[in-house]
Amino acid sequence: MSSAQSATVRTRPAFVSTLLASPIFGPAAALVLVSVFFAITAPRFLSPGTFSLILQQVMVVGVMAIGQTLIIVTTGIDLSCGMLMGLSGLLMAGFAVRGGLNPWLAMLLGIGVAVLFGFLNGALVTGVGLPAFIVTLGTMNIAWALKRIYSTSTITLTDEQAPLLFLGTPIKVGGTELPPPGILLLLILYVVAWFMMKYTAAGRSVYAVGDNIEAARLAGINTKRVLLAVYTVAGMAYGIAALLQIARTGVGDPNAGESSNGNMDAITAAVIGGTSLFGGRGSMAGTLIGVMIVGILRAGLQLMGIPTTYQVLVTGVLVIAAVSVDQLTHRK
Amino acid sequence: MTAQATEHLLLQMQGIGKEFPGVKALEGVHLSVRAGQVHALLGENGAGKSTLIKILSGAYTRDEGEILFEGQPVDIRTPADAERLGISTIYQEFNLTQHMTIAENIFLGHLPKKAGRVDWSTVRRRSRELLDSLDVGLDVDMLTGSLTVAQQQMVEIAKALNRNTRVLIMDEPSAVLGERDIERLFDVVRRLQASGIGIVYISHRLKEIFELADEVTVLKDGRYVDTRRVADVTMDDLVRLMVGRDLVDVFPKRRTKPGEVVLEVSGLAQPKLARDVSFSVRSGEIVSLAGITGSGRTEVARVIFGADKATSGQMRLGGQPYRPRSPRDAINHGVALVNEDRKKEGLLLKLQVFFNITVSGLDRLARYRVLRLKDEKSLVAKWIESLRIKTPGQNFMVVNMSGGNQQKVVLARWLSLGIKVFIMDEPTRGIDVGSKAEIYQIMSDLAEQGVAIIMISSELPEVLGMSDRVIVMREGRTVKEINRAEATEELVMQYAVGHEEAVAG
Repeated sequence: MSSAQSATVRTRPAFVSTLLASPIFGPAAALVLVSVFFAITAPRFLSPGTFSLILQQVMVVGVMAIGQTLIIVTTGIDLSCGMLMGLSGLLMAGFAVRGGLNPWLAMLLGIGVAVLFGFLNGALVTGVGLPAFIVTLGTMNIAWALKRIYSTSTITLTDEQAPLLFLGTPIKVGGTELPPPGILLLLILYVVAWFMMKYTAAGRSVYAVGDNIEAARLAGINTKRVLLAVYTVAGMAYGIAALLQIARTGVGDPNAGESSNGNMDAITAAVIGGTSLFGGRGSMAGTLIGVMIVGILRAGLQLMGIPTTYQVLVTGVLVIAAVSVDQLTHRK
Repeated sequence: MTAQATEHLLLQMQGIGKEFPGVKALEGVHLSVRAGQVHALLGENGAGKSTLIKILSGAYTRDEGEILFEGQPVDIRTPADAERLGISTIYQEFNLTQHMTIAENIFLGHLPKKAGRVDWSTVRRRSRELLDSLDVGLDVDMLTGSLTVAQQQMVEIAKALNRNTRVLIMDEPSAVLGERDIERLFDVVRRLQASGIGIVYISHRLKEIFELADEVTVLKDGRYVDTRRVADVTMDDLVRLMVGRDLVDVFPKRRTKPGEVVLEVSGLAQPKLARDVSFSVRSGEIVSLAGITGSGRTEVARVIFGADKATSGQMRLGGQPYRPRSPRDAINHGVALVNEDRKKEGLLLKLQVFFNITVSGLDRLARYRVLRLKDEKSLVAKWIESLRIKTPGQNFMVVNMSGGNQQKVVLARWLSLGIKVFIMDEPTRGIDVGSKAEIYQIMSDLAEQGVAIIMISSELPEVLGMSDRVIVMREGRTVKEINRAEATEELVMQYAVGHEEAVAG
C-alpha cells in the first residue's frame, strides 16, 4: 500500500511538482474552493451578473492592495491606506464640486494628496527610523481628522464632473451593458505591478530590502530610496483607488475607507495572497487572488443572506488563518 | 603542594566534548578550579573557550566527559542547575536591564518577599552592603542605564555575589575597560579571590594573566593543550602553546609578482574601534589584517567599503582620492566586501541563488531598464559551474545551502562584477575543509589576475599560508608589518597581543 503510494509520488509529472511548489498554489486552491462552495450553496452565484459585480466591488480594495503588498514585502504595514483613500476621494470630489475646479485638475490634486501622505509615511520610516505600524497609525488618524475637517456631508458628483465618474460607469454597447472601465484599469495596474516586480531592478530591490535590509545595503542597494519609493508609490495606488471609489459611488464620502472592508481588506487580501509579514516574499498575482477571495467571500455570503457583520467576522478569521499558515511555513 | 591544592578543589571538568552539526567544538578538555584562585583560560579565537564556559554555565550541555563539584559528579543541563551550584558567569555582553535600578538588577529574579510583597528595604540594604564590599560607592537607586561600562560590570559582580557564587567565570572582562578601570577590576578580582571564590578568567592579554592568575589552561582548536602554574611559564611559552600546530599544506602557490599600489589607507579612524590605520595593497597581492577580535579590523573593512564613515584619515584608490559615500559607491569604484557574518550581512537568505548572485549588478543585465532574464540565467549558470556551487537549481533558497556553498554564492556575486579590490573578512569561517581549499584557490586565481586582496582572518595558518604581507592590528592601530618570509605564528601573535616590548627587551 505504502509502496504503491510512494511510487505514485515518484512518477508525479514535473509540472505538477512545479505547481505545488509555487507560492500562489495555496491561494489559488483556496480561490477555487471558495468559488465551488458558493456555486453550490449560494443561489444566483453562477448568474452572469455576479462575476462582474464582484469585480466592481473589489476594484477599490484591489488597487489599494497593490500598495499594501509593496509595503508588506519590505516588512512594513500600512494602516493608513483606507483613510488616505477616503481623504483623497473626498478632496477630489470637493475640489471639483465645491471649488469648481476642472475635474481633471481635481483628480490630479486628490491623487497628489495621497502621494504626499505616502511620501510622508516613507520619510518617517526611513528618515526618523520609526516602525511603519506607528507611523501609519498616526497618519491614519490625521487623514481621518482631515476628512472630517474638510467635510462632514457627502459631496455628490454630477455630469459636469464626468471625468471623475467615467471609470465607474458601465458602458452600453447596443443593448448589452459592459462592466465599467475601472475593472480594466485594475487589471492593467496589476500587470504593470507584476512586470515591475519581476523584470526590473527596482522590483528586485523591494524583495532584497524585505529579506534583510542590512544585507541589501551591503549588496549596494540604496535601501532608503527603495523604502521611500515603496511608500510613495503605495500612496499613488491609494489615490487611484480613491478615483475608482468616487466613480463607482458617485459621491465624495467622508466615511469612505472607514468600514472594515475599506481599511483592512487590502491587508487581508495581500496576506491571504501569500505576502509574508516577515518580508521578502509575496507577489502581485497572489495578491490579486487574495483580492478575489475576499470579494467572492463577501458577495457569496451576501447572496446567502448573511448580514454584513458576519461577513466581517469571516474575513477576520480568514486573516488569522492566513497569517498562521505564513508563520508555520516561515518557522520551517 | 597537591595535598593542600586538592583540598581546595571546587570544580573539575574532565574529558569534556561537545559537537555541533558538522563541527567538533570541544574534545577531551580538562579544567580545574580551586577555591581562592584565579584560573586563566587561554586560546585563539575559535579555540573553544566560549563553548567550555557555556557548558559550565548551563547554556550548552556537554556530549562527553564529567563535571565534579567538590568531588561529587554533577549534571549541569540548564542555567538554573549552574546557579544552584553557585556557578555564575559574567559575559562580555552584560545581562542587566537598563531601565531598572542597581538594586533591582542585583535582585532580579530573586526578590525577597514579606507578607506577599517585595521587601524593598532588604533589597536596598543588601545591595548597598554588596556594593560596599566591592568598594563601589554607587547609589543603589540609580538606573543601570546611566552607568558607565565599568560600573555596570561591578553591578554584575554584585549580582553574582548575591547568589552565593562559589565559582565566577569572567569572559574577557578587561576587553571593554580603559586602563584605570582595569586596575579597579583587578582589585575587585583579588578581593573575591581572598574571600575564597574560584575564578575562571578569560583574556587575550598575556600581561594580565601574569598579573592576576595562579594557573593557566590553554586550548587550541577545541582541544586541551596544557595546564601550567603561571609562576612556571614565560610569555613565550604561552604564545607557543597557543599557536603551535601543524600547518596543513592546502595553500596554493602563486607565481606572479605584485604590481602597482591600488589602495592606500593612511591614518584612518572611525568612531568605534579603528583609531589609526595605515597600510597599502598592490594589484595581485594578498595582504592580511591580523589581530585579535576587537582590534578594529572589521571596522576598517567597512569604512573602505563605504558601509561606515571615517572620522579622519585618507584613502587613495588607483592614485585618486577615495572616499566612498555608500557600499554602492564603493562597488562602482570596483571595491567589494565579503562580510564576516555571511548570514546576517552577506546573503539574502530566503531568496534564491540567482537573486543573490545578480543582486549587485542588475543594471548590467537590463536594457531600457528591463531585465533580460535569459542573460541572467546564463550568467548565473556560468558562475555556478565555474565556482562549482552545489545547488539543485538557480531557484534554490540559499538558506538551505551549506556554509561553503553559501560563501561561493557571495563570491560569485562579486566576481561577476569584475572587482579590483576585494576585502574578505573571515572568508573561511564555518566552512568545511574541502570548500576552504577551493576558496583559497579562488583567492589565489584572483590575485594572479591582478586583483588586490585584503584578507581579515583570525586563523593564523590561513594568514601565513595565503598572505604576501601581514599587517598586525592591535587596539585599533596598525602596529606592525611583516613580510611573508619573516612571518611566523609566534611573531604575529606577539604583536597582536602586545607582547613585542617584552621580546625586544
